[in-house]
Amino acid sequence: MAEVLWHLTSPAENWEHMRDTVLGRYLKGSIILVLGTGTLSLLIGVSTAWLVACCEFPGRKIFEWLLILPLAIPTYIAAYAYFDLLDRLTPLLIWVRTNFSQDAMTWLNDMMLYPVTIVVLAAVLYPYVYLVARATFTQQSNQCMEAAHTLGHGPYSTFWRVALPMARPAIIGGVALVIMETLSDYGAVEHFNVPTFTTGIFRTWLSMGDLQGALRLAACLMALILLFLMLEKWLRFGAKFHKNSQADRPFQRYKLGQTKAGLAILCCMIPLVIGFLLPLSRLTYWASLTAGKTLDSTFWSLTLNSITVATISGLATVVIALFLAYSARYFDSQTVGATNRLAILGYAVPGAVIAIGILLVAEQLNSATNLILTNSLTALVLAYIVRFLAVAWQPIDSGMERNCTQLNNAAQSLGVTSLRSLFELNIPMLRNALVAGSLFVFVDTMKELPLTLILRPANFETLSTRTFDLAKQAQIPESSVPALCIILVSLVPVIWLNQQIRHSKQ
Amino acid sequence: MKTFLKLFFVLGLLAGMSVSAAELNVYSHRHYDSDAILFKQFTKDTGIKVNVVNASADQLIQRLISEGKNSPADVLLTVDAGRLHRAKAAGVLQPVNSKALTKNVPASMRDPEGHWYGMTVRSRVIVYSKERVKPSDLSTYEALAKSAWKGRLVARSSSNIYNQSLLASIIAANGSDKALDWAKAVRKNMARTPRGSDRDQARAVAAGLADVAIMNTYYLGILANSSVPADREVAAKVGVFFPNQDGRGAHINVSGGGVTASAKNKKEAIRFLEFLTNAKSQETFGNVNHEYPIIIGNNKSELLKSWGQFKADDVNLSILGAKNAEAVKLFDLAGWE
Amino acid sequence: MNLLALQTVTKRYTATDSPAVDKVSFDCEKGEIVALIGGSGSGKTTLLRIIAGLAIPDTGKVILEGNTLNSPTKFIPPEKRNCSLVFQDYALFPNKTVLQNITFGKGATDNPDRIIELMEMADIVGLGQRHPHEISGGQQQRVALVRALATSPALLLLDEPLSHLDPELRESVRNQLIMLFHETRTTALFVSHDIEDAMSMADRMVVLREGQTEQTGNPDELYRRPASRYVARLFGKTDFIPAELLQETVHSIPGKNDLGQVVPVRPYQWRIVDKDFTGIPVFHGTVKSVTNRAPHRELLLDTGQLQLTMYLPGNHVAKCGDTLSVIFDSEN
Repeated sequence: MAEVLWHLTSPAENWEHMRDTVLGRYLKGSIILVLGTGTLSLLIGVSTAWLVACCEFPGRKIFEWLLILPLAIPTYIAAYAYFDLLDRLTPLLIWVRTNFSQDAMTWLNDMMLYPVTIVVLAAVLYPYVYLVARATFTQQSNQCMEAAHTLGHGPYSTFWRVALPMARPAIIGGVALVIMETLSDYGAVEHFNVPTFTTGIFRTWLSMGDLQGALRLAACLMALILLFLMLEKWLRFGAKFHKNSQADRPFQRYKLGQTKAGLAILCCMIPLVIGFLLPLSRLTYWASLTAGKTLDSTFWSLTLNSITVATISGLATVVIALFLAYSARYFDSQTVGATNRLAILGYAVPGAVIAIGILLVAEQLNSATNLILTNSLTALVLAYIVRFLAVAWQPIDSGMERNCTQLNNAAQSLGVTSLRSLFELNIPMLRNALVAGSLFVFVDTMKELPLTLILRPANFETLSTRTFDLAKQAQIPESSVPALCIILVSLVPVIWLNQQIRHSKQ
Repeated sequence: MKTFLKLFFVLGLLAGMSVSAAELNVYSHRHYDSDAILFKQFTKDTGIKVNVVNASADQLIQRLISEGKNSPADVLLTVDAGRLHRAKAAGVLQPVNSKALTKNVPASMRDPEGHWYGMTVRSRVIVYSKERVKPSDLSTYEALAKSAWKGRLVARSSSNIYNQSLLASIIAANGSDKALDWAKAVRKNMARTPRGSDRDQARAVAAGLADVAIMNTYYLGILANSSVPADREVAAKVGVFFPNQDGRGAHINVSGGGVTASAKNKKEAIRFLEFLTNAKSQETFGNVNHEYPIIIGNNKSELLKSWGQFKADDVNLSILGAKNAEAVKLFDLAGWE
Repeated sequence: MNLLALQTVTKRYTATDSPAVDKVSFDCEKGEIVALIGGSGSGKTTLLRIIAGLAIPDTGKVILEGNTLNSPTKFIPPEKRNCSLVFQDYALFPNKTVLQNITFGKGATDNPDRIIELMEMADIVGLGQRHPHEISGGQQQRVALVRALATSPALLLLDEPLSHLDPELRESVRNQLIMLFHETRTTALFVSHDIEDAMSMADRMVVLREGQTEQTGNPDELYRRPASRYVARLFGKTDFIPAELLQETVHSIPGKNDLGQVVPVRPYQWRIVDKDFTGIPVFHGTVKSVTNRAPHRELLLDTGQLQLTMYLPGNHVAKCGDTLSVIFDSEN
C-alpha cells in the first residue's frame, strides 16, 4: 500500500490526458455498476431470503440451498456464457433496425450494456446478501417478528417495520461485499467493455505502459472504496444489535396460498436460472463438444494446482486472520485495531493492484529474496492472503466476539498466558469459524483471476488462468471445461458451508 | 508482518530451488496450443526442458524489470512488435546474432540490432458478410470511415493491442490528425459500443447485426475449426478482405521474441528462437494456430491459402511500438471505448 | 361464558416424538388469572404459543371470546387474535425506543391517555426515549408488559414473566403485576415453573406434565389435595407415606408403580410427640442429619422403613443419633 502511495507523489505523464478524456467515464461506469449491482443484489438477496426463511411453499427447503449455488460461478465465466447468449437478442435488434432505424438499434444495443452487465454481476453476487439476510431473518429477528404478530401486525407490516430494520446492519454488510466484488471485477467488465476503474487500471498499465498512471487510477478506486466503506459504517451506526438468546424455537412460517406460492417459486427460480442454471447449461453444452480436446493429462495437473494453491492460501490466510483478530482483542490496542481494519481493506483492492504492489515491493528487496518471491508460489500465496484476509477475518472476528470474549477475560484473570488461551480456548471454540473462513478463501482463490495471471510462477497454470487463456484466444467453448471444473470444485465447500449454517441454526 | 514475510521467503526458498542447466525459462504472452506442441518438440529434439510463465506481455516486462539481473527468464515471447519494442526500451532484452535467425526472419520482421525476432505474422483485416457485402464495396481501412458504413460496422475495444497497433500504423501512414479523425468516424459508424473479442465481432456480422468487422485473420481460423457447430457456421458466412492492396498493404503485426538481458542460458535461448522460426515449426503455427509464417509467402496452411495472397504493409514494426501510447490516447480522444 | 376455551389441543413437533402438547383442555374465565405450570418440557410454552397463534396445533380447538381461533379447518393468524404475548426474553425491538416499542402494537396509539396511564402504573414514564439496551432488566420486563397491554387485548399471555429477575426484584414485580392486572381488569394466562410465583398470582392453576393436564384447580386446592405425586412435589419437599400406615380419612393419591395409595406429607406436617403417644399411628426413628435452612431446621428421620423429612420446631434440640417419635398432623 505504501508502495502505491509513494508512486503517486511522482508526476505521471498521462494523467492530464486521462483526466480530460477517460476519468469521467471510469467514474460513471464504476458508479452505475456499483449502484445497479448493489441495488439488484439487495432486492434479489433480501426477497429470496425472506421467502425461504419466513414462508412455507413447495420446494422451499430445496431453494434454501439452491439459491447459494451462484456463489460458485466466477463473474468472468458468467460473463462469457452470457455474452454468447446475448446473440439470441440479435433478431430483436434487427427487427428494431428494419422497423425503426439504424440509430434506434444502436441506441438499444448500447442501452443494454449496463443493464445486462448489472444483471450478470448481480445474478452471481446476490448470494452474499442472501446468506446474511437469511441468517438474520431466521436467527436474530425471529422472536421480535413473533412479538410483532402478537401485537397485531401482519406479515407485510412485520417485514417492513421489524425484520428489515433489524437485519439492516447485516444486509448492508452483505451489500458492501457485493460492491467490493463489483469494483474489483476485471474479467466480466473487460469482456463487456464497461469502462470502470479496474479496466482503466489495466488499460493504463498494459496499453499505455504507464504504471504510475495506473497506480493513480488505483488510488482513485481506493478512495471510492473508502467512501463506500465509510458510508457503510455510517449506515450501520448505532445499529449494533445484540442477538436474541432464544432462537431454538422454530418460527411458524407463513403458509402461502396457491397463487402466492407460485409467485414465491417464480421469485426464487429467476435468480437461480439466471445466476446458475443458464450459464451452467451453456458451459455444459460447450463442454460436451470440446471435452475430448481439452480433457488431457495436463488438465488434471491444472485441477491439482488450483486445489493445492487454494488449500495453502486458505490455511495460511486463516492462521494470519486468527492472529490478527486475536491480538486485536487480547491487547485491545488502537494500533492493532487499526492494523486489522487496514488489513481487511485488501478485499476491496483489485487483484491486479495487489499484484503490482507485490512486484514493486519485490523490486526493493535484495535480489536473492526477490527471486524466490517471484519464482515460487510465495508471491502468489502472499498476494492471496492480502486480498482475502477480510474473508477469513470476518467469521473469525465475529465468532470471537460471540463466543470468546468472556472466556478470554476469564483466562486473563486466571493468569493464563495469551498464547495458551489462544490455543486451548479460542481455537477449539472457533473451529467452525476457522473452517468456514478457510473454505471461503479456498473458493475465492479458486475463482481469482487477475492476481494469479500476474504472479504465477513458471509452468504453473490453474483452472482459472487456463479458462482465461482459452477465452482470450477466442476459444470460449474450449474454456468451458476448466470453467466447469472451477464451479464443481467450488460447489463442494459452498454446499458444505450452507449445511454448517443450517446446523448452527438448529 | 515482517516475520511473516521472512517465513514465506524461507518456505519459498525450499520450493523455488529447482533451476538446473538443461532448462530454459520462457516468459510468454502466447498461450496457444501450437506453442505447447512446439515446446514439447523442442525438448524432444534437444533435451532442454522448457519452463513457461504465461502472462500478458506488460506484466512480464514489469516482472523482468523488477527481477533485474537475477531474473530466471531466458526468453520473452509476445504477441505484438510493440511490446517487443517496449521491452527493448526497458532494457530487458539483449542483442543476439545468429545466421539461422537472420536467414529465417526477414529484415523488416526483426529488430535491426537483433534485440528481438518475429516468429509469426497476423494480419488485421476487414471481415464482411458474404450475404450483404460485395468485396468490391470494400477498399481501404480509411474507407471504413465513410458514412456509407454508418451502423454497419463492429470492432472490439480499444484496450486491445491489435486495434492499437492498427491505429499506430495509420498514424505512421497518415499522421496523427487524420488518424484521430478516422478513429472518430469509425467509432460513429459502429453498430454498437465495442465489446467482446474478435470472435464476437465475426459472430455479430454472421448474425446480421453488422455487415463488416475489423479483426485478425487467425481468429477466423479458430472459428472455422471450432468444435461448436454454430462457430463453424459463422466462419462460413463471412469473407476475408485484405484492405489497402493498392496502397501500403494490409496491416500486419508479428508475434515474436527475444533473449532477455539476464539470460543464464543464452545459447539455448538462441537455439530456441532458431527452432521456432525454422520451416517445420512455421508450418505448425499455420496449421494449429492459423497464423501466417514469418515469411508470408511460405504459407502452407490450406485455410490461409483459401483467403488468397495479399500485400502486407511494410512499415517498420518498431514504429508500431513507438506510436502505441499515442494510439491509445487518440482512441480515448475519439471516444472509442 | 368462558373467555378462553381449549378443547383437546394436540401438537407434535416431529412425527416420531411423543406430542409436546397432548389433548389438553381447559377454560379461562373473564378477569381470571391462570397459571400454567410444569417442569421443563411439559409443553406449557408450546401451549402458550398455540393460543397466541405462533404455533399451529395438529388437532383440537382454541376458542377466544366465542370465536374459534384454531380448528382442523381454520387458523386465525396471530395478528388477528385479540390476545398479546409477553415473551420470556421480552423481544423488545432493539432498533426502536421504549416509546416506539410501546406504541408499535395495532391500536396502541388510539388512546394516548391509556398509554400514559399504563406507563405510570409500570413506573417507566421517564424511559420513553431510551433504547432497550439502555434500561435495566426489570425495566425491560415492564416495557414488554406495557407494550402488550397497550393493544387492549382480551387476553394477556405471559411466558415466564419473572424468570429473568433476581429474587428481590421478583417479589416487587410480582406485586406490581398483581396490582396491574387488577387495575386493568386483565384476563391473564401465564406460564411459570416457579410454584411460588404461580401461587401468589394465580386465581387458578393448570398443571402440565409431558404435554398432558395433570390437574386443574385453585392454588389452595392443588396444595391441599394434589392429584398426583408430580403435583405434590411442585410444592416442595414431600414424603409419600403408604396410606395404610396412616388414618383412612386423609387425602391419598396413587403411589409409585401403582403400589397402593400414598399420602403426601409436607415437612411441617410432622409433629414430635412423646415416645409412648397413642391414638394415631406413631413413627419412631433415628435422626440422620440436621440441616439449618433458616428459618427452619430440616431433619431427616430414619424409621428403618421410611425416611421422613421434617422441620424441627424452634424450641427443640436434636442431633444426629437421637431417637424421635412423630405423628402426622394434617391440620398443621
